[in-house]
Amino acid sequence: MALKGGWAGTILRVDLSTEQITRESTEKYSRYIGGMGIGYKVMWDEVPQGTHPFAEENRIIFGVGPLTGTGAMCSGRTNITSLLPSNPFHGVSDSHMGGHFAVEMKYAGYDAVIIQGKAKRPVWLRIVDQDVTLEDASVFWGDGTFNTIAGITAIMGKSSQVAAIGQAGEHQVNLSVIRTGASHSAGGHGGVMGSKNLKAIGVMGTGSVKIAGDRNAWHKLNKDTFAIVGANNQHVVPSTPQAWAEYHDPSSRWTSQKGLFWGAAPYPIETGEVRPEEVNKIGYRTMKAIKDLGPAGEKYTVRMGGCASCPVRCHSHLHVPELEAYGVSPNVANTCMGFFSPNGVMKGYKVAGKTNDEANVIGRSMGAQIADDYGVWCNYGQLGRDFFWAIDHGYLEKVLPRDEYNSLPLDKIEKGDISFFQDFYRRIAFKEGELATLGEGAWYVAKKWGFGEDYWSYKGNKLWTKLGYPVHHSNESDGVVGGVISSMFNRDAQCHTHQNFLFSGLPTNILKEVAAEHWGAEAIDEVANYTPANQAKAKFTKWSIVRNVLHDSLTLCNWMWPMTVSPLKDRNYRGDTGLEAKFFSMATGFKVSEAELDESAERIFTLHRALTAKQMKSSNLRRDHDQLTGWQFDMDPDKEPFTKGTIKLDRDDYDTALTLFYREMGWDEETGIPTRAQLTRLNLEDVADELERLGLLTA
Amino acid sequence: MSETQSQLLNQKITRRDFLKYTGISAIGATTMSWLLPGCTSKDIKVFETADGMIIHESARCTGCLVCEATCSVGNDGKASQVTARIKVSQNFAYGPKGVRGDWVNGPGEMGNFTLVADTCRQCEQPACALACPENAIFEHEGTGAREVDPEKCVGCGTCVRACPWGIPTLDPETNVSTKCILCHGYTACVKDCPTGALQYVSWEDAIQKYKEHFQV
Ligand code: SF4
Ligand code: SF4
Ligand code: SF4
Repeated sequence: MALKGGWAGTILRVDLSTEQITRESTEKYSRYIGGMGIGYKVMWDEVPQGTHPFAEENRIIFGVGPLTGTGAMCSGRTNITSLLPSNPFHGVSDSHMGGHFAVEMKYAGYDAVIIQGKAKRPVWLRIVDQDVTLEDASVFWGDGTFNTIAGITAIMGKSSQVAAIGQAGEHQVNLSVIRTGASHSAGGHGGVMGSKNLKAIGVMGTGSVKIAGDRNAWHKLNKDTFAIVGANNQHVVPSTPQAWAEYHDPSSRWTSQKGLFWGAAPYPIETGEVRPEEVNKIGYRTMKAIKDLGPAGEKYTVRMGGCASCPVRCHSHLHVPELEAYGVSPNVANTCMGFFSPNGVMKGYKVAGKTNDEANVIGRSMGAQIADDYGVWCNYGQLGRDFFWAIDHGYLEKVLPRDEYNSLPLDKIEKGDISFFQDFYRRIAFKEGELATLGEGAWYVAKKWGFGEDYWSYKGNKLWTKLGYPVHHSNESDGVVGGVISSMFNRDAQCHTHQNFLFSGLPTNILKEVAAEHWGAEAIDEVANYTPANQAKAKFTKWSIVRNVLHDSLTLCNWMWPMTVSPLKDRNYRGDTGLEAKFFSMATGFKVSEAELDESAERIFTLHRALTAKQMKSSNLRRDHDQLTGWQFDMDPDKEPFTKGTIKLDRDDYDTALTLFYREMGWDEETGIPTRAQLTRLNLEDVADELERLGLLTA
Repeated sequence: MSETQSQLLNQKITRRDFLKYTGISAIGATTMSWLLPGCTSKDIKVFETADGMIIHESARCTGCLVCEATCSVGNDGKASQVTARIKVSQNFAYGPKGVRGDWVNGPGEMGNFTLVADTCRQCEQPACALACPENAIFEHEGTGAREVDPEKCVGCGTCVRACPWGIPTLDPETNVSTKCILCHGYTACVKDCPTGALQYVSWEDAIQKYKEHFQV
């Protein structure tokens, strides 16, 4: 099957051990769509069971998809697949970054870059269209991400895009990132690059991505999509009451309103009210600084930024002159966790002559900037929670050697002195002393420092499973639906399909109608008034995961896609869940239906499940993988599950939810292992054979 | 705003001043001479003024590159940053000059977030057209946009070198020059820009807009 459009058609393979650079056709992988799908397929075929993430045998795959770089809305994301160091059994995982690296890779002519082996000395990979070379990275080794990216851009040319690791990745810190651009980072796999002596990948492409379909039809499709998109996280109502809007919701990220400005722009730019039909104002809808950083975020905002082809822009670009006093760049860009996770490490900031609100912006942008430069990953905020658990429960004083403990400027936390970040993140990134254990991830910290059962089962620690990752839209999002979604991955579930729909800001009755049309009458409940598991919820759970996987394979931003609902009253607030298939068909020239595309994504997620069983050597993932830490069932002791005002789950009901979900997925209802029948249906017979050979196939 | 700039803005601006002014940061004195009639050895060609031009308001631009994708897909049936006739990505990360010592405070997304786009000015005396040895660049009847005739273009790249803003681009896949043709009046990039950072305006308005945007 020759590829006509969408895909670049070529996959680049770089063996760092032999310094061989080869190319193969993407066709072999087209059933796996792209991005995450290609990544899992490569991992399944090539990485032996039991491989350590930092072993030469491990692969790291930078994957993009048939929609990346086409200009389809929010199609600028890179998917990175490898074994995850912070996971206790080193399960396969994917991390993602936005920015412009992905589209540059496509324009250079590649759907994926597979990295294997280990370089003898630090190198960086230079990709200029067909010209691909390994370059000496000794001058960059030891440097932070910002300087590395600048240095490589200076060599390659101003149109290049670079993905790099910081000192954390070099030192094979489990919690480390791969970073690109001013504010985009993929959490978890920096150490894998470090273990391979690969400091960075620079890419520059002068090619194109062909659109197989008619260009005018494509243009219209894009315009139609512009007309139904919301603000960030597909929030489709404004955050304040506005004359044009029937509904509003204070928690909506559709913040544009009269009197709200990009306050640090060369001249103040008002976000103003943005009505849905004003497509030339979509970029003002989401002023994320006031969501991430509070009201003072407004006056520091230069503009909003984000990923290629995204009209929504969820990254705040700030000018924070106060940072210069600390030797840190005053120009800071980030979003969500980048700005939230410093708050876990310090509890409050004080800056002379500044209000608390201003100090909050200054402190958090300082933390974000330092963590970004060192390339430290927060494990979705867990790093800070572990730190405070260790302080508050007397572990830190016990486990750290006395000298080290005394050298730690903990008094700065008390004083709100933001220079603490420089000290803290440096120790983590350079693996200085015992404190650096925090950088290994929750499971390792708990084991090494002897945290008890109370650590795992304390609700405030937010640990979703004993595999050491925290909640990421779990039981607060439709009870067991979010609960099961969060149990299916080998790190925090980065799934926003369910979250974005449930918290779009529309009233529950409308959402219930939409849910009924897609998954059945009982799929969703009012927030924090959840009902027991049922088949519609299982269908919603499956659909949410499958679409997430689809987006990470195409690649589209799962913070925006799918467009289940829209801001448009005249569409009855309906979105269009068939858009992904329309874009895919038009870009590639292969006409596929929504259901067919979903099935491809189901194949990818089933492969993920098989990979998890293989790597865990488990023939019972229900028992070994899908179990929770306990607080989810024991929280709110004075409340019963399924009563108003609690997100408490019920043990038996969670079990039922797993069974119903396994049934929807065609997995063994007892063990949660994909069945041979289902693997065959998805053309994964070889996977069934291998699972059987390993003694892991249970049905 | 620099002294020179404010002085400029307080004068009565002619179209040629405008070209000089907006080009000043991007080009050196030598290339500037391309803008002046008579500096080409070719026969004088008379170009009617184009109806207007596309201007870019840096402060509103978020670097999404929607404009580039919509331009290249619409005009070429393929998405490409290189053939896109509105050019944001080439200055995106570190500004028009690339990485400089003080990049932290310099332009670009990696610096102080200033995004500088290059747009086709549809010049009164278009250096691209005047330089073309094949007379392949002509004036569209409807819009006055300076267009490349793909039949005549031999891919020599003279126009690429002649234009002070690097607008004409040899499509590496066809070896034919492409440049902004105002989509024959549709201006897809302007229609799709999510922040209204791009506008298609008359000459008079272009001057006025630039005054507004710099007088703060
Ligand atoms: S919504 Fe945010 S993360 Fe998603 S594509 Fe846009 S800028 Fe990137
Ligand atoms: S579409 Fe508008 S905001 Fe986006 S890069 Fe182009 S000019 Fe800038
Ligand atoms: S391409 Fe031609 S008309 Fe456009 S700015 Fe360059 S010289 Fe002027």
